[in-house]
Amino acid sequence: MRTYEVFLKPDGRDEFRHAGSIEAPNDEVALVMARENYARRAEGSRLWLVDRARIVVGDEDFVAPNADKPHRHNDGARVAERRRRLREDGK
Amino acid sequence: MEAFEGFLDDGGIVEPDDAMPDAYREAVFRFIEMHANSELMGGLTERDWIPRTPGLRHKMATLAKTQDEIGHGHLLYMVAADLGVKTRTGMLEDLFAGRSRFHNVFHYRAKTWGDQVAIAFLVDAAALVSQQAVFKVCSYGPYRRILKRIIAEEGFHMRFGEERMLRIAEGTDVQRSMFQRSINDWWWPALQLFGPDSRPDDVLLRWHIKSERNEVLRDRWVQKFVPLLQGYGFAIPDPGLAFDEEEGHWVSGPIDWEPLEKTVQQAGPDSARRIGEAAANWADSQWVRDALDRVAALPDVA
Repeated sequence: MRTYEVFLKPDGRDEFRHAGSIEAPNDEVALVMARENYARRAEGSRLWLVDRARIVVGDEDFVAPNADKPHRHNDGARVAERRRRLREDGK
Repeated sequence: MEAFEGFLDDGGIVEPDDAMPDAYREAVFRFIEMHANSELMGGLTERDWIPRTPGLRHKMATLAKTQDEIGHGHLLYMVAADLGVKTRTGMLEDLFAGRSRFHNVFHYRAKTWGDQVAIAFLVDAAALVSQQAVFKVCSYGPYRRILKRIIAEEGFHMRFGEERMLRIAEGTDVQRSMFQRSINDWWWPALQLFGPDSRPDDVLLRWHIKSERNEVLRDRWVQKFVPLLQGYGFAIPDPGLAFDEEEGHWVSGPIDWEPLEKTVQQAGPDSARRIGEAAANWADSQWVRDALDRVAALPDVA
């Protein structure tokens, strides 16, 4: 038996989302099990199944360095400050 | 443990691969296992009523509800198994051997269609009230996410339950008195589903697995169902029930917890038959699992 992670895509705009997991002996049975367990009311129009053993994991420690990269953001404070000044001067 | 509890108090969410204290793992596992068992036991009872549900539309709805309950069991057993305490097969074997728990209400027998409607309405609502309280805060990520789906589907069941109740309430005197008997039988088990007042040291609350105390949830259910059933012209079988005019609040009479205790010990009125039937069903479906195992042993088609 294999464990599959189930992803559902709700409609044209939204991305695929993880719904949960199921156990099945092969891809064909897995698709039926996933449809009957996760999309009984057509909660998604498309299904992706991924064999859990094949998932490549980047854990929290791996991703963590990018939580501290302020130079990749701009809060727009300086421009907002100028706009505020102009607004107040214009009064 | 202190750092972990601080993390939980700050709204931290635990994922299956995260480090967690054994006691937390065990507590979350027990909670989800009992939920999964209850869905399965409920689904099996629901199945018994497919041929006996009146009318094609409602028969199909009962079929759909059976699939939902068994489906919920599936999802929950997957989530529980990922905690690594027991395998899915291990959980099922424990259930059928009477070694693990399921909700008190499935230790009673549904004798009439009225009973089945009372369960669909009163009991499903009680389960929904407690699930919503878990969903709001639950610190274990996979359970919280799967509850979202389960709660949505329980909502369908409740609406069917209320429609079925309305049909009986608008029916003949025979139907109405049948349903009154069902309320008499199921009011207390449904109310006891919430359990006795939460202990101050309840770890399920401290670890943000549940968000609200049992007595708070029970009270919320009473406030909703007393006026609702009375509105349909039915009586509540609680001689101690009183309305506090000042607070605008219904207060239950004293609750006898003995019947609940019996179900915990698997000694409820219908426990032995229910567990026996579930075990027989598991044995009867062995050929399906064997077929799936044979498929699993086949080489992949390129």
